[in-house]
Amino acid sequence: MWAYIIRRLLYSIPVYLGIILIVMAALRVNDPVNAYLGKNASPETVALKRQAMGLDEPFIVQYGRFVVRVATLNFGDPTSTDPRERFESWKYEGQPVGRKLAEAIGPSLSLTVPAMILSTLVSIIVGLLSAYFRGTLLDRSLMFLVVLGMSVSVLVFIILGQKFGGFWLPERLGVPLFASSGYEPWVKWGEGPLGLPRVSLGTWAHYCLLPVLIYVVVAMGYDSRFYRAVMVEETGRDYITTAVAKGATKKKIMFVHMLKNAMIPIITRVMITLPFLIAGSILLEYQFRIPGMGKLIIDAIREKDFPIIQTFTAVFAAVFILSNILTDVLYALVDPRVRLS
Amino acid sequence: MLRRIRRAWRSRAARRFFSNRLAAVGLVIILLYAAVGLAVLGADAVKALGERTGWFDLTRYKLLDMLTVERADEVVGPYEMRGMGLKNTPEERLRFVRTYLDEFDRATAPRVRDKEAAVARIRYGQRHAADLPPAELRKIVKEAEKLYGEVAQSDDLDADPEMLPKLEELEALTATLFAPLTGVDRVIQGYMLSLGTDRQGRSIMGRAVYSIKVAIQIGLVVAVISVLLGSLIGAAAAFFGGWVDHVVVWLYSTLSSLPDLVLLGVLVFMFTGSIFDDVTRPYLSLVPIYAAMCLTFWIGPCRVVRGEVMKIKQLEYVQAATAIGFGRLTILLRHALPNTVHLMFINFSLLFIAAIKNEVVLSFLGLGVKVGPSWGRMIQESTQQVINGFFWQIGAATVFMFVLVLAFNIVSDALQDAFDPKHVG
Repeated sequence: MWAYIIRRLLYSIPVYLGIILIVMAALRVNDPVNAYLGKNASPETVALKRQAMGLDEPFIVQYGRFVVRVATLNFGDPTSTDPRERFESWKYEGQPVGRKLAEAIGPSLSLTVPAMILSTLVSIIVGLLSAYFRGTLLDRSLMFLVVLGMSVSVLVFIILGQKFGGFWLPERLGVPLFASSGYEPWVKWGEGPLGLPRVSLGTWAHYCLLPVLIYVVVAMGYDSRFYRAVMVEETGRDYITTAVAKGATKKKIMFVHMLKNAMIPIITRVMITLPFLIAGSILLEYQFRIPGMGKLIIDAIREKDFPIIQTFTAVFAAVFILSNILTDVLYALVDPRVRLS
Repeated sequence: MLRRIRRAWRSRAARRFFSNRLAAVGLVIILLYAAVGLAVLGADAVKALGERTGWFDLTRYKLLDMLTVERADEVVGPYEMRGMGLKNTPEERLRFVRTYLDEFDRATAPRVRDKEAAVARIRYGQRHAADLPPAELRKIVKEAEKLYGEVAQSDDLDADPEMLPKLEELEALTATLFAPLTGVDRVIQGYMLSLGTDRQGRSIMGRAVYSIKVAIQIGLVVAVISVLLGSLIGAAAAFFGGWVDHVVVWLYSTLSSLPDLVLLGVLVFMFTGSIFDDVTRPYLSLVPIYAAMCLTFWIGPCRVVRGEVMKIKQLEYVQAATAIGFGRLTILLRHALPNTVHLMFINFSLLFIAAIKNEVVLSFLGLGVKVGPSWGRMIQESTQQVINGFFWQIGAATVFMFVLVLAFNIVSDALQDAFDPKHVG
């Protein structure tokens, strides 16, 4: 098992080096310093900025430096006197990229982990129901609704959800149920009794529950259609015929035999959406002003904050590749037929 | 060629596709959208041609001219009017009157030297000032001001039954400032106001219709290029194997290890500050979107076609072709690729949807369409309005987009069922 994992890790190194290469090259097609400072900047400022970022060095040197930075997870040392070592964000001067990264992970995860879990559960249930009642009115209307929902832009769900959950509902109820936007940390480290973190679920619900619900509605469309198709495919298998012949009830076949066997595609599906955990529901974070990684990278692209763009894309890619490896390992755990040779 | 098309038309898969009535309806809708898109494209092109050569002036052919981008970007009324002939609230109607009165007041003010010209410049879409001397107009404005003062005194126009007739009187008086609309002008103005106006007083209908062209343009360019590129690369990788295959697989697994939206963002960033990012060159402004999407979306067809060609490579007819002595390139282009055409079609319609949706998302984030209207920009501009309870703009953009994407979803499902029945998901 460990040998397999290590082999997979080693194999993904060239892919990872490739993505860093491509991203770094793409970001340098247009001079990032010029893009940030505009055409009217004096040559001295441009040169200074370029030097501080190490952009005056040959590309291969920059590439090597950045790979080392990623490998050692050193995204800036605020105490250093060398500007190259400080690796500051351009927009937020004085803040190393590493600090911005660390700050953004929490909000992202507190939005996406619950969203992920909840939406997977709901979609599997809808998919199962739809497959169980295949061909009936329930199945058809569910699938019709799903196609309708898929054809509406995600943005519409987000904007209308924000309007009704964040403005209309609190106004109606007279209680500030959901925040219309914003974020506050809901886990305060070392502030609770005995040095434990103090957790305030109310704060979490206030800021994150509404986006989570919107995410579930949006994701349900895509996921439940997929899960239904998986289940429907499983119904044609021989083991189902065997189970029917042996007199198992339809319910038992559905939820015990089939669900177990459908685990592989389900795991794949969940793992494919895992990188989303970090990339975040970029749009949700953006619209609800939750300072997660998704919002940060979009803001960085808009503000042309080059160090942040480069670092965050590298981190996203790393997460994606790691989750791919995790998928394969999980396969082996779920399905003994998958040999790790 | 014709025989081939006829054979394809009569094939089992095609029959299966057209026997699905829903899919046929979807196809008709798509064709309708395409026709509108084409008309808009044509109007823009003809107008540009007319302006360049000076042979003719499209503004004289108003029914065609109303589709152009200039009309879509033009102010046709006060901001946030409701559509479909619905009346706004009395407060808002008072605000509309205010807008008109201010406009005329400014044009006929004593310090304005050329009042005739200033009045002639007043335009709300097809509406323009009445054919009266400025002094006359100023008199009407003064009269209306008096009435306005009375109506504006009321704290709550809705609850004040006396004020409503007065408001109507005021509106009628203000209307005499404008020349009455006749014939085509009236039809066009009605069409422009049929879905209300946005925050800047531009026609929501005009913008939504113009956006059809933008969406279809982006969808078509991106889907065609990425399907062709992806299929060729995928087929070549499968057919030649060896290092070609390794490089292709490495390339697409590398590119797909970034979330689509992040990759699109980075690729769009690539173009910032270049000539494609220049407002004075609007015809180039879509190039970054095309490039970013094509570089992101070729992966899908590439994977699928690569898998299919791997399978086809083992089939007897390919071996037979090899035995006869055809070259590898001939076999690839004449025998292997044509047998993946159904996959290309399915991928085309999937990518078309993806392109339209991503355009909207990118424009919403401020990274997409920057010049001219698009559904994404309309949705982005409407966020503040939605909070204030004005839904016409987001509604129009959503419905226009919804119908097209739904039609494409249905068609691509039907294509999937007809050509690739074994596919899951």
